[in-house]
Amino acid sequence: MDEMMVETLCLKLESQLDCACEYYTGIQNDTTLVIPPDRIADVIMLLDEDMNGIHLSTITAQQRENHPDEIEVMYHFYLKFGFSLLTSIPCKDPKLPSIVSIIPGADFYEREVAEMFGVEFIGRSETPRLLLPEDWDQGPPFVKNEVKDG
Amino acid sequence: MAKISIPIGPQHPLLKEPLSMKVDISGEKVYGASLRLGYVHRGIERLAQQRNYVQNVHLIERICGICSHIHTTTYCHAVESLLKIEVPLRAHYLRALMCELERIHSHLLWLGILAKHVGLETIFMYTWHDRELALDIMEEITGGRVLHAANQIGGVRFDLDKDHIAMIHRTVDKLHNKLDRLLDVIENEPTLIARTRGVAPVSTELIKKYCVVGPVARASNVDVDMRRDNPLPPYDQLSFSVVTFQEGDALARTRVRAYEIRESIYLCEQILEDIPDGPVSTRVPRKVPEGEVIIRSEAPRGELFYYVRSDGTDKPARLKIRTPTLAALCLLPVQMSEIQVADIPVVLAGVDLCVACADR
Repeated sequence: MDEMMVETLCLKLESQLDCACEYYTGIQNDTTLVIPPDRIADVIMLLDEDMNGIHLSTITAQQRENHPDEIEVMYHFYLKFGFSLLTSIPCKDPKLPSIVSIIPGADFYEREVAEMFGVEFIGRSETPRLLLPEDWDQGPPFVKNEVKDG
Repeated sequence: MAKISIPIGPQHPLLKEPLSMKVDISGEKVYGASLRLGYVHRGIERLAQQRNYVQNVHLIERICGICSHIHTTTYCHAVESLLKIEVPLRAHYLRALMCELERIHSHLLWLGILAKHVGLETIFMYTWHDRELALDIMEEITGGRVLHAANQIGGVRFDLDKDHIAMIHRTVDKLHNKLDRLLDVIENEPTLIARTRGVAPVSTELIKKYCVVGPVARASNVDVDMRRDNPLPPYDQLSFSVVTFQEGDALARTRVRAYEIRESIYLCEQILEDIPDGPVSTRVPRKVPEGEVIIRSEAPRGELFYYVRSDGTDKPARLKIRTPTLAALCLLPVQMSEIQVADIPVVLAGVDLCVACADR
C-alpha cells in the first residue's frame, strides 16, 4: 500500500512539479524520499492537497559525519505509514522554504531547527527563540564547531 | 475597551511547570496568546550524543516525571531495532503493563488538576488518592513510583511472580470500582459540566492542520492511536477500543481521558491473563551497527516520536525526540482566542501540558 502510494507520488512529482526525487532506504520503519531543498514547500503542498491534510510528526535536522559541510533536514509524516522527505542544505548558507503557511503545526518544529542548526526559513515572518535563552550568543548548539568557526 | 497583554508565568500558581505565556485581553475576553518555552530545556538530545546507549536509557527516563516509562520503552525499541535482536515476548508484555499503568496514573493526575482548576477540590483529592493505587503497583513491581528504571536494552529489569499478579489483579479491580464513581461524576456533576461544556471547542480540521495528537485530537473526532495504527509488540495481540468524541470541547477532552483509563484497566487485565512465560531480557552488544530507525508509540498524551541514528559506535550519532505536548502547544494560542478570562485555566488544563517533555 505505502510503496504504491509513494511510487504514484514520485510520478506525480516528476510530471506535475518537474521535481526529481529518489528513494532513500536507510531509515527503518519509514519510506523516505530525497528531494531538492528548494522544492520542499511545493512537494508538501501537493501532498497536503492530494491527501486533504497530512500529519507532520516533526522536523529533524542533523549533520552527518561523512558530509560535515551539509545540514540534512527531514520532514517526518505519518500517512498510515511512516513517510519522510529528506533534503540537504549547505552549512554556510542554510536556507529552506517555510511550510508554516501549508501546515501551521510546523511552527515550533521550524523554530527549533532554526535555533539549533541556524537554518533560515524563508517565507515566514520570524523564527523567535523557542528553547534557548534570549541571551544565548554561542551560535547554533548542534552545528559542529569546525563549521561554525569557518 | 483597551486591549492589554498579561504575562502568565514562567513561575505562576496556575502552572506546575515553567511556561511563559502572554495573554491578550480586553475586559473579560481573551483575544490571543503567545508562548515561550525553554525554562526546563536540558539539551537531552545533545547530551545523548555524548553518552553510550546504556547510559541514555537513564538519561531519557528523566525527560518526564509522569510518562518516563514510555520514553525508555520507545528508545529501547529503537535501539533493539538497530541491533536486530529479538526481545523476549514476556518483556514486551511487562513493558506494556507499565505503559498502561502509566497512562492510568497520568490521566488521573490530569483529571485531578482539571477538577482543581474548576473549583472541585474534592474530586482533585479523590483522583489523586486513586492515582496512588497505580503508583503503588509500579513501586511494588519495579521499586520506583515515578522513575522506574524498568527498561533496559534487550528487555526489562523486573519480573512478576504469583504474588505480584494477585496484588495487581486486586488493585486494578479496586481502581475499576473507583473509576465507575469518577465516570459518574464526569457525566453528571453540574459544576464540572457547566465549566467545561462548549469551552474552547476545536474542530477536526484545526486539529489536523496543527498536527495535534493524542486525547486532544481524539476529543475532536480524530481517530488516531499509535497502539492500534502502528503497534509496538504486544499491542498487535491485545484488543482495546480507541475512545473518540465529536464535540472537541473541554468536556470531550475530559471524557476521552476518563474512558481511556477504563480501556487501560482492561488492557492491564488482558496483559495479566495473556502474559507468556519465559525470560525477561536478552544480552545485547554495547556497540550498535550503523543504521537509522524511526519508532512511534502512544504516550499518555499522544504520539511519541523517536529517531535514532547509529554510526557504529556505542553512542548515538543523533537522537531526535518529538513529544506529544509540543504538538498540542502549537495549537494553544489558537485555543486562547475568543474565550473568557475565567476559562484560561480550563483551556490550559485541557491540553494536559507536560512542559518538561516539550522542552527536553
